[in-house]
Amino acid sequence: MNHKRIVSPEEKFPKVPESLFLFRSCTGSVEYPGTENAIKEILKLLGIKAVMDPDQTCCSGYLLTCSAYKPEFSLAVTARNLSLAERKDLDVFAFCNGCFGYLSELAHIILHNPDYKAMANSVIAPMGYEFKGTARIYHVQELYRRLQSNLVALVKRPLQGLRVGVHYGCHYLARQYGILDDGGYPSYIEDIISSLGGTPVFYKERQACCGYAVGRGFTHKENVVHPHLYSKLKSAREEGVEILVTVCPGCNTALDREQPALSERSGEKFGIPAIDVGQLIALALGVAVQKLGFKANTVPLDEVLRKISADKGENIQ
Amino acid sequence: MARETLKDSLAGHADGYKLLDNLSSCLGCGKCVGNCPAARQTPSYNPRQIIRDVLNGAEERWLKSEEIWRCLWCAGCYTLCPMDISYPLLIMQLRYRAVEAGYGLQYIAPFKKFAMRAREDGLTFAPGGSKGRERVQGIRSGIGASPWPEISEKAKAEYTALFDLCGVKRDLEGMPEDAAEPLDLNYLGGRIVYEP
Ligand code: SF4
Ligand code: SF4
Repeated sequence: MNHKRIVSPEEKFPKVPESLFLFRSCTGSVEYPGTENAIKEILKLLGIKAVMDPDQTCCSGYLLTCSAYKPEFSLAVTARNLSLAERKDLDVFAFCNGCFGYLSELAHIILHNPDYKAMANSVIAPMGYEFKGTARIYHVQELYRRLQSNLVALVKRPLQGLRVGVHYGCHYLARQYGILDDGGYPSYIEDIISSLGGTPVFYKERQACCGYAVGRGFTHKENVVHPHLYSKLKSAREEGVEILVTVCPGCNTALDREQPALSERSGEKFGIPAIDVGQLIALALGVAVQKLGFKANTVPLDEVLRKISADKGENIQ
Repeated sequence: MARETLKDSLAGHADGYKLLDNLSSCLGCGKCVGNCPAARQTPSYNPRQIIRDVLNGAEERWLKSEEIWRCLWCAGCYTLCPMDISYPLLIMQLRYRAVEAGYGLQYIAPFKKFAMRAREDGLTFAPGGSKGRERVQGIRSGIGASPWPEISEKAKAEYTALFDLCGVKRDLEGMPEDAAEPLDLNYLGGRIVYEP
């Protein structure tokens, strides 16, 4: 096993893929459908073919960590979903930290434990699948980093100094091996933001969890999630963050949907929209605003769109 | 039994799924606690103490506790651990064991309906009601996507089949309703108070 903690984007992708298996995220296609659309638009502009497979299901990880599923089920689901990519000879690109983390972790468990591999394959074999372990698993953000200069060359709507706070989310940075940056103090997304004309803001609780993790938004909203999110969003507001970007639609849900309740509790205003980093990149590349699905957001983006002169009906590609 | 062997067998007991073979290497350094957002809110939740108790065979008091349900699974502990101990995989298994012993059921009960719906949809957290579905369809159509995520009937049927085959349906339907209330531990004078 390669124990290198941090790898460069070029080491990660010596060759940029021509096609990839884009792993559908439940939250990214239902709660915030603009996430998936933005990524497809960016990949189109980069000349990379995104293949989605209607036979793919939920990764099944979230309810596993909510203790509603046992690992046997999620191991089998992971083996089945990954075998779909293997059949097409493609690597998997997830755009939800949950999907990414669960796929990587569960595949690791299957591949390092012959009993689990046999178990998972024996349940999916009657359906005609076999997981071999050849498909590699990436997060789409890794590709943005690899192709950052290509993205910069495509900018049509510079971010005009927009003050952007990044929320990395736990399940990418918590990986011990093979991540793009120092998980203890990452800055690669801030670097992408600057190169698109934005102003990255290193607010104090930048690396704090979104709080929705493993279902705590359902079981411990008042006593754990709200106080935790309050101090996170307060630190963003104090540093003048105008918009938060995430790499996980699950985190996005917590940061966006909880703001009215936090305002009610504290009597303070937040008003900081939260979107996927892909949606912000797509805006910078001039993708039409109506393709990005901001109608799904609780905190409106009007001020942000005005600042970067993105009219609602406009398509400047 | 030699202390090290005893530690290993106790750790093995807590790690029924064999996901953490290095638990007994814990140094007790507490870096995990210092980087834990749940411990920051609730000092009576303490990952280092939980590992120590598991290794000493005293985890029962945690299985009964409300505290073990506060972990956010953010892996802040794992990120800093000098011994590479994946604590989230321990808490996951402690929760299973708590549920098997009849504790903490109210913390998994809210997910029963989402799980049973995911069984049908092949998607998690898709709205069940027609109003919620219409909202999603409206937003998706507005951005030029198909009104509903493109998931095949085959995918849904196979998700359901794996769900049932792996015993998830049986476990969820068999969940007893009369769950014991987990104990809320106290934190007084810098110590966790285990007895009510
Ligand atoms: S950081 Fe690791 S070694 Fe230190 S107390 Fe926590 S689990 Fe043990
Ligand atoms: S995973 Fe749980 S124990 Fe570890 S730092 Fe996060 S909240 Fe604390």
